[in-house]
Amino acid sequence: MSGEIHIPTLAPETIFHIGNLAVTNTVINVWIAIIIFLILGISIKRSVKLKPGKLQNACEFFLELILGYFDQVTGDHKKTIRFLPIVGAIFFFILLSNWLGLLPGTGSIHIGENMLLRPANTDLNLTLVMALISVIGSHLYAFATIGIFTHLGKFVQIKNVFKSFKKGPMAVLTAIIEFGVGLLEIISEIAKVISLSLRLFGNIFAGEVLISVISALVVAIVPAPFMLLELLVGVIQAAVFSMLTLVYLTVATSVPHGEEESHQN
Amino acid sequence: MAEINVLNTQNQAIINEESLPASLGLNTQLFVFQLVNFIIVAIILWFLILKPLTKKLEERKKMIDESIDNAKEIETNLALGEKEYQDKLKEAKGEANKVIEKAHSEGKQLGEDMKNKAKTDVEAIVTQAKKSIQTEKVQMMEEIRQESATLIVSVLEKILNEKMDGKIDKKIIEDSLKELKK
Repeated sequence: MSGEIHIPTLAPETIFHIGNLAVTNTVINVWIAIIIFLILGISIKRSVKLKPGKLQNACEFFLELILGYFDQVTGDHKKTIRFLPIVGAIFFFILLSNWLGLLPGTGSIHIGENMLLRPANTDLNLTLVMALISVIGSHLYAFATIGIFTHLGKFVQIKNVFKSFKKGPMAVLTAIIEFGVGLLEIISEIAKVISLSLRLFGNIFAGEVLISVISALVVAIVPAPFMLLELLVGVIQAAVFSMLTLVYLTVATSVPHGEEESHQN
Repeated sequence: MAEINVLNTQNQAIINEESLPASLGLNTQLFVFQLVNFIIVAIILWFLILKPLTKKLEERKKMIDESIDNAKEIETNLALGEKEYQDKLKEAKGEANKVIEKAHSEGKQLGEDMKNKAKTDVEAIVTQAKKSIQTEKVQMMEEIRQESATLIVSVLEKILNEKMDGKIDKKIIEDSLKELKK
């Protein structure tokens, strides 16, 4: 018995071109997700009532479930609703994309050497887009909530350095350390983007590789537990990404301690 | 033995030849494409699914809260009404008891009064009757006396059948009267 294991490449494969624009297999999966959300969205928008139908009831059940978890992170339902456009979109999109990758056809239908369908989150471009939206979004929310200068003051703490000259050498030393910490915070913001994007990409890509290898080795039954595991990984990764985004948003929109005290004074 | 050909040689070649971002599949065109895709997803999710659902959830929550508040208000009003009713009932019972007591005492008093009046009336009637009897008795005695005198005279006249003088007549009459009185 001989066989070939098609291990997915790190970069998504181009399936066809629209003009100069290369359409990859991950983009096709994103389009499928968009179509599903569009159909679901139109049916919900049309039928949404105070007395819910079956579809609305099911959607509300899941929404209320995740809103409960989000409330635990933000500690305020109003904040949760404020952050929902970003966090909700990230959660549901990652979840659907991950689960779409488990449907028959994904990874198994080939056009030439390339797979026709591939889980959307195995494209680092997409995970990077979401990570950037998450981190940049948190800063935009912070600008709108606590003010541009207050938020920038968290990273460039130059004001404290000038103030410290009047207070003595220890205060100057503390201010310089705080200034350095502020600069480190800038690096941590970059690290957030890298960690968010690579974590999701790595987990989903590894899952896809695992399923591809197992499916190539044994066609039936044996891949099933791994697919169930991937189902779980899909939820966990969606939850991790959205929860981290929510944490970034909550932390970014909170007033820094020094500012809080000066506001009270 | 299974002969497995791992088709990943192309990848290795890319990693060796190209930069790290390119080997990971990062490219500007695809990045922008995915950015646009994600923005579309976010817009669809927010405007068609999340916003209408959260709005309805809030509306329903508001309605339920209002209903609970109304129910509490109704319950409070009901309890207040019940208390008022009980108070009024108690008051009415007290008043009824007072009326009954008053009626009892008035009835008793009326009975006493009527009894006393009846007693007085009876006494008056008895006194009147006694007086009448006494008067009638005196009258009767007078009549009897006169009748007796006439009767005696006539009887004596008949018995003796003779004419006696006036002294004998008078004496006989007086004796007869004395006998009658006895």
